[in-house]
Amino acid sequence: MITRLKSCLGLLLLMLLWEIAPRVGLVRMDILPPLSRIFIAWLGLASSGELWTHGVISLFRAFSGAAIAIVVGTVLGVAMAASAPVRIFFRPLMEALYPIPKSALIPITALWLGLGNASQITLIALGCILPVAVGAYNGARGCERVLIWSGRALGAGKMRTLVDIVVPSALPELLSGIRTALALCLVLLVSSELIVSKNGLGYLIGFLGGSGIYDAMFAAVLTIAIFGLIVDRLFLRYIRWVLSWQ
Amino acid sequence: MAVIGRTEDGVRSSPVASALVWLAGIAREYGSLVLVLICWELVARLSLVPPYLMPPFNEVLVRIWAEIGDGTLWVNLLDTLRRTLVGFGIAVVAGVAIGLLLARSSTAEWLVGPLVSIGFPLPKIVFLPIFILWFGVYDTSKVIMIVCDAIFPVITATVAGAQGVERQIIWSARNLGAGERDLLWTIILPAAAPQILSGIEVSLPIALIVAVITEMMLGGTGIGAAMMESWRFAESTGVFAGLLELSIIGFLLIRSMNALRRRLLRWHAEAQADLV
Amino acid sequence: MVAPMEHAGPGRVETGSEDAQIVVSGVSHVYRPKHGRQVLALDDINLTVRRNEFVALLGPSGCGKSTLLYLTGGFLPVEQGTICVLGETVRKPGPDRGIVFQHFALFPWKTVRANVMYGLERKGVPRREAEVRAAEILVQVGLKGFEDSYPSQLSGGMRQRAAIARTLVLDPATLLMDEPFGALDAQTRNLMQIELLALWRRSPKAVVFVTHDVHEAVYLAERVVVMSARPGRIKAIVETGIDRSDPEFVKSRAFVEKVDEIWHLIHEEDGKAAP
Ligand SMILES: Nc1ncnc2c1ncn2[C@@H]1O[C@H](COP(=O)(O)OP(=O)(O)OP(=O)(O)O)[C@@H](O)[C@H]1O
Ligand SMILES: [Mg+2]
Repeated sequence: MITRLKSCLGLLLLMLLWEIAPRVGLVRMDILPPLSRIFIAWLGLASSGELWTHGVISLFRAFSGAAIAIVVGTVLGVAMAASAPVRIFFRPLMEALYPIPKSALIPITALWLGLGNASQITLIALGCILPVAVGAYNGARGCERVLIWSGRALGAGKMRTLVDIVVPSALPELLSGIRTALALCLVLLVSSELIVSKNGLGYLIGFLGGSGIYDAMFAAVLTIAIFGLIVDRLFLRYIRWVLSWQ
Repeated sequence: MAVIGRTEDGVRSSPVASALVWLAGIAREYGSLVLVLICWELVARLSLVPPYLMPPFNEVLVRIWAEIGDGTLWVNLLDTLRRTLVGFGIAVVAGVAIGLLLARSSTAEWLVGPLVSIGFPLPKIVFLPIFILWFGVYDTSKVIMIVCDAIFPVITATVAGAQGVERQIIWSARNLGAGERDLLWTIILPAAAPQILSGIEVSLPIALIVAVITEMMLGGTGIGAAMMESWRFAESTGVFAGLLELSIIGFLLIRSMNALRRRLLRWHAEAQADLV
Repeated sequence: MVAPMEHAGPGRVETGSEDAQIVVSGVSHVYRPKHGRQVLALDDINLTVRRNEFVALLGPSGCGKSTLLYLTGGFLPVEQGTICVLGETVRKPGPDRGIVFQHFALFPWKTVRANVMYGLERKGVPRREAEVRAAEILVQVGLKGFEDSYPSQLSGGMRQRAAIARTLVLDPATLLMDEPFGALDAQTRNLMQIELLALWRRSPKAVVFVTHDVHEAVYLAERVVVMSARPGRIKAIVETGIDRSDPEFVKSRAFVEKVDEIWHLIHEEDGKAAP
């Protein structure tokens, strides 16, 4: 209990400072609204429905993009580990594409698909495939041969071995690749919505900032930040649970 | 096959044979890449997709050549690189310092530790509009944003590395007469170096990604800004040229990072091989 | 035999000229891990190691041998009782008490030479002199030619020798060794034992040598301290009284009987621990 309290203390102090500093004039109120005002602004955004309409759009984009990346990335990575021709074809491509800063894709998908959902979903999918595929590939490649052999000896076919033995033993690296991908997914989502979009939470932030409604902008920013934090914590829980056999 | 066998034996390695071996190696190494580039060129040339969506590869190269010629490439490239490296450098120095502090001082640990563990998974890029509000649209905002994003992997890696130093290694050093300061500089830092470097390796690409985003958002100079400019005028060659340039920067940065790691961790590469 | 050392301090450095080098009196140690339950690792240990004496510490796994060594080395705080080395109460680690850990604890990022020179550098020995002394000691332990290797490039026995050299180069008056030969094969182990004895004769010092191996204990030590399992207590102290001048002394009756005697002491312990 004490340690719990202790671990929150730094955060509480920061929040307190945030509330007090603008009120006593340490920083300008319009540049850093006190926390309570931000909360009130958040209630306003939530009750007017703006937060939800834009939030649902962002959520849909993030979810679709991430889902595509996870499925395609996993299949690609495992296939590369399992089959030499696939590996020979995709490895050089992966090595060439890996160093590209993923954000460089923002204008590309916007060029291809305009400002709608399709553009953002493609961006997220393209950007997040590589971390997933690399995790799956490294994990699957690290699967011990004796495990595969014993699977075959126990009568499992090639496909079965892949699904029953290779994928589970690739799981730790695959999951950590997916975790990276999820973080990247949010970054790409928010920044592309800020830069090239007509809706979504990122757009909302840009719009509020542009119109000088700063307390609402802070509220929207904190909403996304906290959402990202929750997603990561939940996924970490999930990883622990899935890997509890370790 | 026989040709390859002979060259390997070194009995009669004719220049033709060794050239063939070399070509086979190249094909295996880069075959698919070349294939994809050729497909790109063909698709664009045969107008299977409109050129404003996908310019032919050679036109992209011509465009880059032109940018080299009129000097815009260097301006943009150096700007992007400078911001990335300045932000990255600050992130590394500050990150290692904060990490060591967190690992060695329990007060710092319970005051700042939770902030770090919350800050790491936050999508910090959402704070960019706030930084614009505070610091304007010039380099300050950009560099601060890069530092914010790139510092967390360094901090957590440093904490993990410094806390993971074997107790007996520290004891040995103390036993041999090391004081607190010696301990930090000659034992904990080198012992944590492999982990710290892994953290740095994660943070370098992040720095580049964020640098590009800030340039795209805030405009001004830099490759990211140039790409957005081209995008606005639907100039697809410019967009793709930017993509290619950024890929090359990313590639060079990652390569130099690897080289640095190999240099610094000569002792470690083999250590991993036969650790019991 | 145990002298309380209440007045230990600079004024009484002459204690060194008395017979005792290490005096452990009434030492108990409790581990209080953050998670899990407390462990009473040592319970009221009293032990005196005479000047330049070679003592072996023998006992079942988990009886607190390492703990006693860590306390003497000054790595863990002595919370109950006192430990004095050459008349000074132990409070922190120091180069007067050299320690060789069970798992070497070489600095993996330093070459063998740099490892050996580390303690000399801390003492402020000039670089050239440090290099000369490191080279000498490396010849002594048979690591000539491997000065520039990293620990990871050495065999287990060589790493052990490097660790010993790193400690010996400071010529500590007290040497604490925690199962230093535990990881070695029988042959290397025997070679190392011979080298250690030779070294100890050349430059006498008090040695506390922790081991699981009764044979090794009797082979090396003048006295063998047998400890009992949890909580660690001293069960018996046996004078070996072996005449080592005969090169074949391992086969002598006296030697075999000593080993047997200590075996029995330890096996009684097995009987007790079972129910
Ligand atoms: N850091 C620690 N935290 C909690 N308990 C510990 C710790 N270190 C040792 N112990 C406990 O203290 C007891 C003595 O440990 P110690 O390492 O001194 O034994 P040992 O005689 O050296 O054993 P071994 O021969 O296996 O090396 C053991 O029961 C162990 O469980
Ligand atoms: Mg031990």
